Amino acid sequence: MLAAVITSSRAALDSAARTMFRRNFNGDQLMGSPVADNGIEVREISVRHGRRLALEGVSGRFEPGSLTAIVGPNGAGKSTLLNVLAGLTRPYRGEVVCSARARHGLAYLPQQTEIDRDYPVTVGEIVGLGLWRNFGAFRTPAPALADRIAEALGAVGLTDLIDRRIAELSVGQVRRAFFARLLLLDAEVLLLDEPFAAVDAGTVDVLLALLARWHAQRRTVIAVVHDLDQARAHFPSTLILARTPVAWGETGSVLTDRNLAKALSTA
Amino acid sequence: MSLSLYALLIGPFEGFSFMRIALVACLALALANGPLGILLLLRRMALDGDVLSHAVMPGAALGFVYAGHSLLALSAGGLASGVLVAGLTGLLGRTKPARHDAGLVAFYLVTLALGVTLVAFFGSNVDTVRVLFGTVLAIDVRALLQIAIVSTLTMVVLALFYRPMAVDSFDPVFLRMVGGHGMRGLFAALVLLNLVVSFQAFGTLLAIGPMLLPAAAARCWTHRPGIMMVLASGFGMLSSYAGLLLSYHRNLPSGPAIVIVAGAIYGVSLLISNIGNFAQIIIKGNDP
Repeated sequence: MLAAVITSSRAALDSAARTMFRRNFNGDQLMGSPVADNGIEVREISVRHGRRLALEGVSGRFEPGSLTAIVGPNGAGKSTLLNVLAGLTRPYRGEVVCSARARHGLAYLPQQTEIDRDYPVTVGEIVGLGLWRNFGAFRTPAPALADRIAEALGAVGLTDLIDRRIAELSVGQVRRAFFARLLLLDAEVLLLDEPFAAVDAGTVDVLLALLARWHAQRRTVIAVVHDLDQARAHFPSTLILARTPVAWGETGSVLTDRNLAKALSTA
Repeated sequence: MSLSLYALLIGPFEGFSFMRIALVACLALALANGPLGILLLLRRMALDGDVLSHAVMPGAALGFVYAGHSLLALSAGGLASGVLVAGLTGLLGRTKPARHDAGLVAFYLVTLALGVTLVAFFGSNVDTVRVLFGTVLAIDVRALLQIAIVSTLTMVVLALFYRPMAVDSFDPVFLRMVGGHGMRGLFAALVLLNLVVSFQAFGTLLAIGPMLLPAAAARCWTHRPGIMMVLASGFGMLSSYAGLLLSYHRNLPSGPAIVIVAGAIYGVSLLISNIGNFAQIIIKGNDP
């Protein structure tokens, strides 16, 4: 009886759901290759943390389909910039132009430390959320989606761990699970905050392969990176940040000793 | 033998309508408190819940001062001051975590002190004890109706919004990215509503107990959130029943008795689920 009431009111609430979670329902047009303008332009962005300026007058453009490493000393505002791009932090001055964000085509992966590893959630459940736009907040996920979850788990080498809780996994394995979720999310723009921090070498290779795949699919990928060799080897574009851009462009011409020294002295 | 068992376990509820009403009220509260308590724990917001339970007090006290023992005034006042403090703690949430803790404790202390002062100034010492610890046995049919409405509403809302609420408790940023919003506010509203209707039964100091203790006990037994919620409601109901019996037979205050039983269930759960760890510590010394 109660179940019947809930089911029927679910149907009745579907229209309310559509308003509340509107963007999920037209998300399907975005599937496949992201061809719309998925670049990001930032104009004169400044962010305050208390009295200190975390970012100061950051202007520039992440080209559509670019793969950019953000490097810089501690406290350079790298994470802050990603937060601003993701729309999680509002700058006190300046603006971000990102049409993908308005279309909910933007995915943001915070640092490992932001994740509650004690939360009782399984690898399969985390990865399955990547298919959110197929079921949204209220519909029952179609059984066929299980194949796509399995496929994504296979791509990151976690097939056997689908029913494990994240509390039982290593840092690298948790990273892989979140990358599998990104794989299914099919976002136009991916913002990754220190994706390679504290993970094993094998995992780094798996994650780099996924980055290359997304780059080939013309998605815009921006990652905060600490290892300069990694940036040189795998990222065509680099932004050196020290509260304000020190250099921004093609990696080879950006990552010079002179620019790096300048970044250290400004931060 | 069976007769004495009957007198022990069922008799009090058959003989006294205030016992029956108290039992039904506590069972209804426990039903909604189970899932809410689990979500509160999973969000690591136990302290926020505690603060909210005290936030109800100054408003309820004002309602009490102006309208005497009117249930509606009490609830409306409690709800109003709860919303106010929830809004303020929401602002606090944007500050650094360390300051967040200190801020919550500040709210906790100030709202409690303000509430006690108001009640003591305009009422009597008996009133003060009542708002601090509640009066389960004084619940009347109208209060029961209020509890039933809130409990039902809570269950329906949770059933409808379970998925976005669960995702929000684990990964709120993700939910925002895919376009979901408002879950934090909705959840806080449910917690506040339940605390307001728990206020009369358990008072401002204990209202959070029937929500948190059964949930904490349930966490010891399983890693599946759904089962956790069912267990938490079950533990809450068990402690309501056992606590009321305890208070009847031993002539103890009923609200605290219920909370003590819930605490005992938590203690036993903790002990049993960690028995391996404890054994290891005893055998091998303190090294894990």
